[in-house]
Amino acid sequence: MRIKVAIVGLGRMGMLHMMNCLKMDGVEVVAASDQSKKALRKAKSAGVSKVYADYHELLNHSSEIDAVVISLPNFLHLDSARLALEAGLNVFMEKPMANTVEECNKIVDLVKSSGRKFTPGHSMRFMDAVEKMKKLEDKGVIGNVEVATIEEVINGPFAHPRVPTPVSDWWFDPAKSGGGALLDIGYHLIDLFRYFAGDASVVFSHLNYKLSLPVEDGAIVLLRSDSSTRGIINVGWYQQTIFPKLNFRMILHGSTGYLSSDDFVPHNLYLHALKVGSRNLARRIVGKKIRYLAYTYYYESYYKELAHFFQCIKNDSEPLVSAVDGLETIKIIHEAYEKYRSSL
Amino acid sequence: MGSLVSLVSHKNSSEKIKDSISEALELAGFRFSSSVKSVVVKPNLCYYWDAATGYTTDPVVVGGVIDVVRERYGEDVDIKIVEADASAMRTKYAFPILGYEKLAREKGVKLLNLSEDVLLDKTVRVGKREISFKVPKLLLETDLFVNVPKLKIMRVTRITCAMKNVFGCIGFPRKFVYHEFLDEAIVGINKVLRPHVTVVDGLVALGRFPVKLELIMAGADPFSVDWVASQIMGCKPTTVKFLKIATKEKLGNPQGIFTRGADVLDFKKGFPKANFTSSRYWWGLQFWLLKAYGKLSGDVIPPIIEEG
Repeated sequence: MRIKVAIVGLGRMGMLHMMNCLKMDGVEVVAASDQSKKALRKAKSAGVSKVYADYHELLNHSSEIDAVVISLPNFLHLDSARLALEAGLNVFMEKPMANTVEECNKIVDLVKSSGRKFTPGHSMRFMDAVEKMKKLEDKGVIGNVEVATIEEVINGPFAHPRVPTPVSDWWFDPAKSGGGALLDIGYHLIDLFRYFAGDASVVFSHLNYKLSLPVEDGAIVLLRSDSSTRGIINVGWYQQTIFPKLNFRMILHGSTGYLSSDDFVPHNLYLHALKVGSRNLARRIVGKKIRYLAYTYYYESYYKELAHFFQCIKNDSEPLVSAVDGLETIKIIHEAYEKYRSSL
Repeated sequence: MGSLVSLVSHKNSSEKIKDSISEALELAGFRFSSSVKSVVVKPNLCYYWDAATGYTTDPVVVGGVIDVVRERYGEDVDIKIVEADASAMRTKYAFPILGYEKLAREKGVKLLNLSEDVLLDKTVRVGKREISFKVPKLLLETDLFVNVPKLKIMRVTRITCAMKNVFGCIGFPRKFVYHEFLDEAIVGINKVLRPHVTVVDGLVALGRFPVKLELIMAGADPFSVDWVASQIMGCKPTTVKFLKIATKEKLGNPQGIFTRGADVLDFKKGFPKANFTSSRYWWGLQFWLLKAYGKLSGDVIPPIIEEG
């Protein structure tokens, strides 16, 4: 079975998803949409036959498409998901699944009624370090997890690309972005907490506005899961980090030991890139499949989440991450927003 | 030309910054003209990284400059803090993020995006190249233009300080288009725009990493300031291309530069000077290797590090 895919939105993430899809066996990128002519030219030159300036137009011409990968600004997630699901397409939706609990509920209902595959892009579950920690935790090597500290402090939308480009205005408009660092990065961390500890509620929340923006640039949230595991989420947009550095760590404190993601990530990123790159070149020479983006260590997760999604379509199996996971994550985030507001 | 450049060690709290700036201006022999009604202060707000990173001018220093100006000309003088949009930076976000909205409120001064000012077309010749700029009219008409740059290394030009901060005044946001001939463009815009005085924020300087250098420098001539800044950053001024071009174009004269105040060496030894890993060659080599790897292996290169 060959899956015909359309890429909706060719910003930084959409372009990466397109490039990843182009490398996948059994996947064909047949269409793409974006407002940027430059991005569409790039898609064309990569071999995408149909390009559209408006995603509505693409989704109205979807008879030859099996699945869409949506990487639009947050405020367009519900609209694009609705159109795609109503057109009978399988949907990969870049995170956050949507901005509000209400929007997420609508997506959950649409997924149920459509009977199509749907997954939000919770890429961090597919990080090598996280996968290894999950396996060990499932085996019970650290006993019961009592506390999980999960943190990521990076530059968020301020990541400086090689070709200087301004940050899009929608990031700083709460009506369009839905929030700041907590919604953008904290979304991943809260999902990881749920992945390891199950459903949770907010005990304490503090938002930070150091950058004087209308959305928060940092947050510290204390969670408690239904199984009494406590989680400390520390997230920020305020740190100048330069690719390929990723200031992320997760520590699981169990009753018989602990696991730290720092023990599962490469300590020297250059040496790691050299090692993985050489291995990939050798695999290419002997005609074996390479490990895409593994040289960056964490970008590989974007490839893996998409590959997993397409595999689920082929096998008619359920994706690891469901629309309900997206909804539950957004519920916790909005609970944290509410808790902070009511504490003022 | 050539001129005096002063160096003042500023180890005190932000309350004393005005005194350090006054001292630096006095040592540099700067004389305030008698009739000043409008003042423009141009910090370096190249991106959204705050002053602690060494990338952008500390609002504390700009606040000190405003206090010095107010002391000399009184409360009624019209003071504007200005910056122009850049290829990746938008002034409307840089002002609040970097603390300039707060500063403007506290000091009762205005903020202005130079890209939204009246822009005049100016063309200059640098060597054999003719270069056109969109120049904010305000900067040509203001009574006092104070340049407040940072002291930092840069891959493309090796150092950036006074003259490069004047380049930041160009009203056209996509200044990236000048990067192919950046050294000539820096000299070109400095032929058009001449700040009356430069006060360098060297409180945190940026070498291979940021460092608290606790330095305030001042001088009337941006070329001379850059010449001394280059020495502090451990970079021979005669090897800095835009300084070489400026010398050739008679925009500055290395012969007449001398310093007053603290010793250049005191700051030079504390500055984490550039090495191969912070050079454009290492940067270029990494991308070349990555590109070659991508071609040979068929692996994906993330768009954030693509050439576009």
